Amino acid sequence: MSTIRDKLREYRTAGYYTEFEYHWTMAVDLDRCTGCEACVVACQAENNLPIVGEKRMRQGREMKWIRIERYWDDSEYPNARLNFIPMLCQHCDEAPCEIACPVFATYHNQDGLNAQVYNRCIGTRTCAVYCPYEVRFFNWFTYTWDEPLEQQLNPDVTVREKGVMEKCTFCVQRINRAKDLARDEDRRVADGEAQPACAQACPTDAIVFGDRNDTDSAVSRKLEDPRAYEVLKELNTHPSVVYLKNARAPLAGEEDDGHHGDESESHASPVMWPDESSEAVA
Amino acid sequence: MSIGVFEAARPVIKGLIIAVLAIIGAYIGHWVHGATLNDYTPVQPIEFSHEVHAGENEIPCEYCHSWAGRSATAGVPSVETCVGCHKGLTEVRDKPDVVKLFDYWERGEGIPWVKVHDTPDFVHFRHKPHIRGGVECQTCHGPVEEMARVTRRVDLNENLRMPWCIDCHTEEDVANGRDCLTCHY
Repeated sequence: MSTIRDKLREYRTAGYYTEFEYHWTMAVDLDRCTGCEACVVACQAENNLPIVGEKRMRQGREMKWIRIERYWDDSEYPNARLNFIPMLCQHCDEAPCEIACPVFATYHNQDGLNAQVYNRCIGTRTCAVYCPYEVRFFNWFTYTWDEPLEQQLNPDVTVREKGVMEKCTFCVQRINRAKDLARDEDRRVADGEAQPACAQACPTDAIVFGDRNDTDSAVSRKLEDPRAYEVLKELNTHPSVVYLKNARAPLAGEEDDGHHGDESESHASPVMWPDESSEAVA
Repeated sequence: MSIGVFEAARPVIKGLIIAVLAIIGAYIGHWVHGATLNDYTPVQPIEFSHEVHAGENEIPCEYCHSWAGRSATAGVPSVETCVGCHKGLTEVRDKPDVVKLFDYWERGEGIPWVKVHDTPDFVHFRHKPHIRGGVECQTCHGPVEEMARVTRRVDLNENLRMPWCIDCHTEEDVANGRDCLTCHY
């Protein structure tokens, strides 16, 4: 007889799903990212994110499912460069947050999505502590929208209340819609049919979203890029968001050795470089 | 070493407290159950009878609730839809509720219907996949064509509670039907 403990263990064993039906994946080309934050705004509008205000922001209670992190490199003024990394829920296949949740409010579904079920969440905030990417946000208050802004709330997305955790869903409402339309014609979701708000808003197409199981999809082609790397890969979280390393031409007077500066500089950079980067990047 | 009266009676007092709490709990439970698991028949602004329209006159559900097959919500027909038919039906023009309808029409107002079958905000029930899957409207809404005033019948749909959804999704072996993200997002 299998006890509930056995079932929990089975549920939490790595690879509960041996293969995903769809494996939704996002590729973020850091070379294309201009840091314009259009994705941030699009996400805010699509997913009913509240404006927490200046005071709450100072208290670290911001709500941004996707944010642009800025990293200055070590160079001095004329050569100083700014690196942007859009950071959002990585939808890790081995997600630390899923192990943490005592009530299974967060779990992995058959599409490779890291789900957050608001009505199941009891607000222990353990998942936010466990998340190495700091992309989970807690509703400290029931936020309200001033008139007439409540009219622009997205009816396809739950308006969260006080006491629940929330995070990027890869715009699951759009994925569900695309799957629904595909089901009408009895086919799989075609590449590009399901687009999260951030990917749709990105003016430089830095964010590409699609199904990794489909080898022809735009995102699969991006994954084959030698610049591709995963953030905090050493934690073995197996993220579903893959970044393409920022590989720019060297400035005048800089050595063209594949990356800017010398070896010590690249180590000092907070950007996680892939292991094989120095050979691969021209 | 003597034992005080209070200390000797401690198990009895403990038992009494538990008993009282149990009775209060039972009352509260009964009240909550009764308040939430009941048939629900709100009074509508117009005494629209599904018995007459869908029953006697056999108007198909999707003639008025035309969005059911192609969107998440089944939708309530506009006043225009009602008037479209009733303009030609002069023999019922003097009935008080039809007069009310034409009052709304002339004022250019919508009718503030009271929603009978409603799900919470965090449940994204979608009609379209259910219609596509061949679920009859009556499976969830009951025999509406026999209702003079629409009732949400607790014996049919358990007030649209999740176990009821899951039971059907399990029985019918719906693809990913038990995945939380199917409805909650």
